[in-house]
Amino acid sequence: MLRITDCHIYNTKWRIDLPDIALAPGELLVLTGPSGMGKSTFLHWLLGDIIRHATISGDISLNNIAVNGLNIEQRRIGLLMQDVYLFPHLNVVDNICFALPKALADSNGKVLNKPQRQAAALAMLNNIDLGYVAKHYPEQLSGGERSRVGLVRALANQPQALLMDEPFASLDPSTSVQVSQWAFTQLRASGVPAIMVSHAISNLPSQAQHLELADYYRRV
Amino acid sequence: MATTIRRLTLSVGWLVVGLVAGLPLFGIVMGLWPTGSLSWPDITRFLTYNGLATSIVASVFLSLAAPLLALYVAFMVYSQYRFSRRWQALENRLAPLLSLPHLAVALGLVYLFSPSGMLWSVLYGIFGYGAPAWLGLPRKSLLTMVLAVSIKEVPFFLLIFSALGRQLAIKNWLLQGRALGYSDAASWWLLVFPAILKQSRLALLAAMAYTVSVLDVSLLIGPNIPQLYAVVLYHWQTGFSESDQAQAWLGNVVLLVMLAVLVGAIYLHEGLVLMRIHFNAVMANPLRIASVGRLFTLWLTAFSLLTVAILTTFVLWSVGWSSQGAPSLAKLSFSLWQEEWFFIQGPLLNSLGIGIFSSVLGVALSVLALELQHQRQRYLPDYIWLMAILLPQLSMVYGWQIAHTTLAAGYHSSWVVLAHLPFTFAYSYLVLRGPFQSVNRHYEVVAASFGYSYWQRWFKIRFVLLGPALLSALAIAFSVSVAQYISTLMIGAGRVVTITTEAVAIASGNEQQIIAVYMLVQAALPFIVFLIASLLAQRMRGSYHVAYH
Amino acid sequence: MIWPTFSITQRTYGRRCTGYFVVIASLLLLMAGSACANQVTQQQAEQGLQWQQTLVSAKGATVYFYAWGGSKPVNDYLRWASKELADRYQIRLRHVKVADISEAISRLTAEAGSQSAIDLLWVNGENFSYLKQQQLLLGQLWSHIPNTALLATDTLPLQHDFGVAMDEFEVPWGVGQFNVISNATLFKQSADTTPDALSTNNTISPSSLLAAAKRYPGKISYPRPPEFHGTTFLKQLLVALSANDQRLLHTATVDAQAELLPLLWNYLDQLHPLSWQQGRAFPSSNTEQLSLFQQQQLAMVVSFNPNQLVKDQQSARLAATSQRHYFAQGAITNSHNLAIPKGAQSPDAAKVVINFLLSEYAQQQKLTSSWGDPTVIKPLVDDAATLPAQQELHSSWQQVIEVSWQQRYGA
Repeated sequence: MLRITDCHIYNTKWRIDLPDIALAPGELLVLTGPSGMGKSTFLHWLLGDIIRHATISGDISLNNIAVNGLNIEQRRIGLLMQDVYLFPHLNVVDNICFALPKALADSNGKVLNKPQRQAAALAMLNNIDLGYVAKHYPEQLSGGERSRVGLVRALANQPQALLMDEPFASLDPSTSVQVSQWAFTQLRASGVPAIMVSHAISNLPSQAQHLELADYYRRV
Repeated sequence: MATTIRRLTLSVGWLVVGLVAGLPLFGIVMGLWPTGSLSWPDITRFLTYNGLATSIVASVFLSLAAPLLALYVAFMVYSQYRFSRRWQALENRLAPLLSLPHLAVALGLVYLFSPSGMLWSVLYGIFGYGAPAWLGLPRKSLLTMVLAVSIKEVPFFLLIFSALGRQLAIKNWLLQGRALGYSDAASWWLLVFPAILKQSRLALLAAMAYTVSVLDVSLLIGPNIPQLYAVVLYHWQTGFSESDQAQAWLGNVVLLVMLAVLVGAIYLHEGLVLMRIHFNAVMANPLRIASVGRLFTLWLTAFSLLTVAILTTFVLWSVGWSSQGAPSLAKLSFSLWQEEWFFIQGPLLNSLGIGIFSSVLGVALSVLALELQHQRQRYLPDYIWLMAILLPQLSMVYGWQIAHTTLAAGYHSSWVVLAHLPFTFAYSYLVLRGPFQSVNRHYEVVAASFGYSYWQRWFKIRFVLLGPALLSALAIAFSVSVAQYISTLMIGAGRVVTITTEAVAIASGNEQQIIAVYMLVQAALPFIVFLIASLLAQRMRGSYHVAYH
Repeated sequence: MIWPTFSITQRTYGRRCTGYFVVIASLLLLMAGSACANQVTQQQAEQGLQWQQTLVSAKGATVYFYAWGGSKPVNDYLRWASKELADRYQIRLRHVKVADISEAISRLTAEAGSQSAIDLLWVNGENFSYLKQQQLLLGQLWSHIPNTALLATDTLPLQHDFGVAMDEFEVPWGVGQFNVISNATLFKQSADTTPDALSTNNTISPSSLLAAAKRYPGKISYPRPPEFHGTTFLKQLLVALSANDQRLLHTATVDAQAELLPLLWNYLDQLHPLSWQQGRAFPSSNTEQLSLFQQQQLAMVVSFNPNQLVKDQQSARLAATSQRHYFAQGAITNSHNLAIPKGAQSPDAAKVVINFLLSEYAQQQKLTSSWGDPTVIKPLVDDAATLPAQQELHSSWQQVIEVSWQQRYGA
């Protein structure tokens, strides 16, 4: 459960007073609004990254634990950007292994060794029929493949929540529709609450919540 | 508590980096501290020295022209090769010329291309009549000097570009450029060059400082009526009469002013060029220079031929071949190699040991300097870090020597390592700064979101992405350490003999055969290191590694 | 040491010898010394008590000898000497090769008389005069080193170094005599055609040089002053052009300069347009000139070693047809010398090295080795082997010539 309460985005010229947000596992919130209104900044704030361009206040809790005081690596919130930033020096499987939790254990509670981790990563790829790119390096992937590997990698980390910053915008329209439908299915299945910034509100799953920032915007 | 430790660590870090980066300034203050008093006649004599103005102008011109020429040629070559299948071949073949000492390249060039040089002799032998003298490379002239230095610096710039290119999204920029209707060449100049120029400023500064103060090459092929400024200054510095010492002191002050002017000129050039490119970009006006780019596809062939020719010349010299009398195979022998090899091993091992220690330490320190600035989110001006390269070396090392003898510190190899450290530090900083700053922070943000701590991210992401650049930096730092003559001799005091202290002393005698032996051996160490670095770097994937299919 | 520093002789000796061993060894040494014939005087000197102590304290020491390292024959000779010194005196001689001896002078200046890294150095001329004036050198060398008694002070100018009295602060090691090496044809015609009576096959004069330059334009040059060989070349010309004017041997007065120097400048005004690169460039050193001569870009090279021609012909570095010439008034002759810094860490061993280098054995080897440097000791001095000598000009002329040359031709 991701909860955001009493949240305000503001600078010297304008402010946005967001309504409280609550996302149950597997739920998706789509955030829209004109550019320059701090959508990406909001995501980076949620992530715990350093933010510029605006000030944001508010309380974030994950499963009823406040995370405001935590830095990025302690929050366990995933981020998927337009470029998913697959690490260029690792192949696809190793990129996923990099994201797998360190303490990942088998059914007997034994921490996995390197081949087992790689096998687990490969299984995730095979699940979505991407096993054939396992040994490829990021520069060898197509745009669609890259986005999908990016999502698999983000989910492999078992995040408490996932943030997506127009992750499919760079794909051509038909691929974009295909990949995003696939992504929503994956998200729901994995039970991770997610927030997605998007330009377009077409092709969204019907269950998704929607928040238009412009509705809460006012000049100071 | 944690913050106290953190602060303490940071302070220690700054202290260490500051000490190494500050050593050159300390040296120059010690070395140029006025000992005698300066009289008005001294100043008059200095100012009325015949040819002083010409010397200064020629040196300033040379020190700007040669590095800039090399930069532009290197960029043209880079743009022609980067995304072609010949790129890997080029990277492999950089090693030999990178490792040949400047003096060897100069010797080779005049031997091959001067009016009575080998090339014209051979042509004469084949066709029966010689080329006119004006076609050959003048034995001693500003032109020869500009050519020799710039030819030698092109591979250096290519190495810098190669480390940079892995961190810049050049391919995407070119794609965008072409999508907007610009030719490939125009996109290179309008989109890539500004980024490359800014990031190679340090390399330009280094090449400039080297050129303004280089002595051996100036003596051999520089103009000498009047002489280049470095030579004039050297004569004063090595004369020990009171008047010479006064001249030398004034000369060093003028050299410092010249260096300041040259640093300013490099910044000015950068500003003007960027303004021009910016103007062209705004006016959607592709540069005219773009169209000659094609010519540079020939570079690798020409470069390889030249390298082979120089190396062949040296190998032939080393086995006793000379233009004295009719060349015959019977006179060739490896006896000099056998004779000298016994005496070369020790210096070679010393060079290797000192080179490894000082280059690894130098690279580590420059990474530390970059990381400290990165954490502070503020980078200090480049010239602060490059002082070891920019300041006049002879006076600087003389200052260290005074300090070293005052301390009565003994003549241990580790002192020589310390004396090399400011140079290896500055050169590796020069190679690393661009790639370090260009690492895309989003990789680290993504890694952070996966739960990796700052230092885990640093080692697993930043450090690995910098791999190729670190290798280049190590190779350059190593070759810089191997090439140190003045600092090794003055601090090592003859106790620490390296291949370069031997080679430079021997080169002062102009005996072809033995010079050839020592220069080939001297070049061997950096050659091996450059080759290993380039082979390893090719196996690494940078952010914008491009595989050609 | 992090890694072993290189030892030229690749031998190690125990540093602390027992007194017993020292006595035995010095006795053996003396016996070895007395076994040599023709060394009676040397023996007597060596038997002095003081010298014995010097020998004892020198044992096992290392002598860092700063000397120009650009000549393979010299380097080879010093390698030979190191081996001999190790065998005979158990002294390690390390040749610290420098590109220019000024590097050693600068070190001595930096050390300012305190403990020095230099034990011995090869020096002469202005550098010596500076070190002597700065009181950076060890004195009384001649009194302490027995073999200085062998110095041929009667026949060779060995008391002064470029007009500065040596005063026992340095010891002559070898002799330089200015000569010109040319190819077979350069001066050939001059003997037949010029009326200059002094011109034979061996001697040259300003006029024969100018005639040669006219016949072979672009083939003549000299090292650019203030390079030492270049300046000496000008001195030789000045002596010849002024018909050996005695004022050159005294301080260069304003009048003497005004009268004599124009002779030289008028001559050079004619010579330069006919020389290499029309006088717009000069070789930077005599060694560079030699390599240009070997590459046949030049038809002549200047040298300070009268035996260089023969030695370089033996080693096939110079063509067998090359010839040696000297200026008819005589070859300017001076010595190159050895000195010990005041702060030397092994001054005794350095003295033993000098003593050895002055021995008949070592001087003979120096003469007959590929170096061929003329001897400075009486037993070996042979009038036939040396060129007729011309006294060195008063040192004030050196600077006058260099400065005026720079003003007239330097830019």
